[in-house]
Amino acid sequence: MSEPDPAHRLVPVTILTGFLGSGKTTLLNRLLKEPSLAGAAVIVNEFGEIGLDHLLIEASEEQFQLLDNGCVCCTVRGDLVETLKALHRRAADGELPQLSRVVIETTGLADPAPILHTLIAEPELAGRYRIAGVVTTVDAVNGPATLERHAEAAKQVAVADRLIITKADLVDGWTVDALQHRLAALAPAAERCLAADAALETLLDAETPGSEARADQVAAWFDRAAQSIHDHECGPDCDHHDHHHHHDQGLHHGIQSYSFVIDEPVEWAAFATWLDYIAALKGEDLLRLKGLVCVADDLDRPLVLHGVQHVFHPPARLESWPSPDRRTRLVFIVRDIAYETIERTLVKFAGVRPAKGPERHAA
Amino acid sequence: MPDKSADLVLGNGRIYTMNRKQAWASHVAVKGGRIVAVGDAASVAAFTGSSTRSIDLKGAMLMPGVVDVHAHLMMGGQAELFELRYASTSSFETIVEKVREKAASTAPASWIIGGQWGSDLHGKLNSLEALAKLDAAAQGRPVMLRDDSYHNRWVNSEAMRLAGVTRDTPDPDQGSIGRDPTTGAPTGLMIESASGLVESVIANSGYYTEEMDRSAMAQSISTLNSYGVTAFLDAAAMQPILAALKGLDDRGELTAWSVSAMPAVEPSFMFGIAGDELIALKDQYRSAHAKPDFVKVFLDGVPGAKTAAFHEPYVADPILGCCFRGSTIVTVPDLIRWVGKCEKLGLAVKIHCAGDAAVSQALDAIDVVRSFNGPTRLIHHIAHASYIAPGDIPRFAELGVAADLSPFLWYPTSFLEGHKQAMGVERALRFWPNKQLLAAGALLAGGSDWPVMPNPDPWNGIEGLVTRQNPNGEFAGEALWPEEAIDVATALEIFTINSARAIGLGETIGSIEVGKSADFIELDRNVLEIPADEIADIKVMTTWFEGRVVYERT
Repeated sequence: MSEPDPAHRLVPVTILTGFLGSGKTTLLNRLLKEPSLAGAAVIVNEFGEIGLDHLLIEASEEQFQLLDNGCVCCTVRGDLVETLKALHRRAADGELPQLSRVVIETTGLADPAPILHTLIAEPELAGRYRIAGVVTTVDAVNGPATLERHAEAAKQVAVADRLIITKADLVDGWTVDALQHRLAALAPAAERCLAADAALETLLDAETPGSEARADQVAAWFDRAAQSIHDHECGPDCDHHDHHHHHDQGLHHGIQSYSFVIDEPVEWAAFATWLDYIAALKGEDLLRLKGLVCVADDLDRPLVLHGVQHVFHPPARLESWPSPDRRTRLVFIVRDIAYETIERTLVKFAGVRPAKGPERHAA
Repeated sequence: MPDKSADLVLGNGRIYTMNRKQAWASHVAVKGGRIVAVGDAASVAAFTGSSTRSIDLKGAMLMPGVVDVHAHLMMGGQAELFELRYASTSSFETIVEKVREKAASTAPASWIIGGQWGSDLHGKLNSLEALAKLDAAAQGRPVMLRDDSYHNRWVNSEAMRLAGVTRDTPDPDQGSIGRDPTTGAPTGLMIESASGLVESVIANSGYYTEEMDRSAMAQSISTLNSYGVTAFLDAAAMQPILAALKGLDDRGELTAWSVSAMPAVEPSFMFGIAGDELIALKDQYRSAHAKPDFVKVFLDGVPGAKTAAFHEPYVADPILGCCFRGSTIVTVPDLIRWVGKCEKLGLAVKIHCAGDAAVSQALDAIDVVRSFNGPTRLIHHIAHASYIAPGDIPRFAELGVAADLSPFLWYPTSFLEGHKQAMGVERALRFWPNKQLLAAGALLAGGSDWPVMPNPDPWNGIEGLVTRQNPNGEFAGEALWPEEAIDVATALEIFTINSARAIGLGETIGSIEVGKSADFIELDRNVLEIPADEIADIKVMTTWFEGRVVYERT
């Protein structure tokens, strides 16, 4: 693999998802009118759903449309990979403005995981784009029922880095609170906000700990995830009185989150073997895995892991620890994988002694 | 109560049930193909009505039908019905003469397919001079002759023309084309995967019709029935095999329980779709007695050819050097993925492991899958559980893996002589630790690996398990690792109830118990009373499959 040109920044890609009627298109329409979105490309499934006519300055060709705020709007024709390659090529050729970021809108029923796979696994794309996060819209009116009925909706929430609650003004505060609680149980590490309060950057900077994330963000992310899981999680020895409320399989479609800490440094070869195994055998149900790993042969420079189902980013090495807490931390969002399975196999194959995370640690 | 009447009562027999709770009985009653009573005359009296057919066994031994956990049926049937056959000891001249005779009765453009020439002819066949003689004998017809290992072929010029093989054809991966040392012209000798260049032409030519496939399978099953086999696992079932088994069952002509193992990748000796593409068709080929419930993974080759994977190196040779251990052809992560995927699909995996390192890797992979997936009702097989590192012996039972004992090589054979050359005498003799596996609680299951064994006669295998000496009279006075001999009763269990459990049919067949299939064999002597070295002489007098006679000795 060639060394990337330092001046050549990877273009951040945000995936915008949400069930049918959850307010995704309204949000996109708002986005497309933002003057500050110049240089952004928005990939949508259909032009028709969003009223573009008054925004158009040029219809260069059917697939790509340049809007008067400098934003490129394109429709996905078949292959997302081809669309992203074409975008990059045309921007490089000067046919389109220089790309500052990309937002991909998924169809309502879509599982965002394959899009994440594509971005991680397709070599040509991995050298040009990076995942800036998954943003999922949930509407306060129909969201609770949708989450109960549709496993796809629960999965969209589970893999989100940021959750945007829409239509909160149409229901009472209790309903919003209950929904917040439900979302926190499904996606403890995701940040949540109301659409009405969401600033543009809120939508786009759903930063996930990855290759370009800043170290302090990484630490903050794990602390937040750990605390949130602690508040909502129920492991094997959970004594929370609201256990049943949180872990009703029918409500959550088997989706659970776990957090582990490992005190001792990790032997990377054994740990990587364990990663191969869990990806091979449980990949489909490993919705998300994020880790900050203290590697035995490089104690001062931790590795950041990010996996979506069976596909993992190449682990990124941080130049220093983001906080005084130098323990390995792992956060899992899974479907129908028992806590004990992860614990037992980590012991057996990675040779580590995982402890249930976490208690809050001063950062 | 006429509806209670049995269709068939077998009485006055010495019925060895393989049911440890009731080892012996004298009478058994059958209704609708299932056993309804087992015991003495009084036990079946209530089931005997006017429509009941009674058979007096006159003191003969009756036991459950034998279950062969590893056989390749299509090749045997095809060879018997459609191919030119000659002994593997035939000379070059005899083989050419046989081809000449066959050509006289074969249509001009039609294939002449035959076998099996002895591996010792390799050098002789690998020349343009030999090729010219074969061409002359065939008179323009394409010829393909298989060797006794089924791994290699000798073909003529017309066959190479049809396959597009010329001096410019490169050797395929894991195979080679015999060539004249001076001109580089192909000699017609096709080693390992090069066989596929010609086999695939035949497979795609429509040479074998569906009707021929069914006839070949029926022929093989009828051979199995004649040895007392009423259930088998076909250990590399390609689509024509699956289709033939289903086709026979649909016609009511399948006379044994059949379980099929679909290859994860196209084997080197059979051709057609494999893996996901084949597995996707499994439900289409399922019927009452045809069960595509396994996937076959080949993890390594064979010790004699130094293609099996061992922990310790083979004997040094000029080509492979001092430290060659062989290698596995599937990585552990890939094997893990296969086992994991198969478990999700409800399929067990039969893993070919000829060397001890392959056995270790297969057990490692299953250990990983067990650790993540937890217990399963599926029983995976280590096929040819023959060379096993001592530390791996307890793992069979710990992981619930069946030891597939096949082919019948647990006594001195020419294979063993080849192993001695490849790995040294001492290591070669540590072959088939059956008694240790048994003591460690492993499920041992028996199979023939026919046509690797020239016929699927389980009595040959059972005698060998007990004596560790060659039942065919070869290698007289020699025994292979005699400490690993096991008793007759255990050997019988291995070839009946154990194999039944191993192929997932332990509740249906394998013992004579109420509710199970009425699959019986009547023997010409009592296995448990004769000297061990007579077991291979046992003749099956009658074979019943679901209460029907499917073989009768004449």
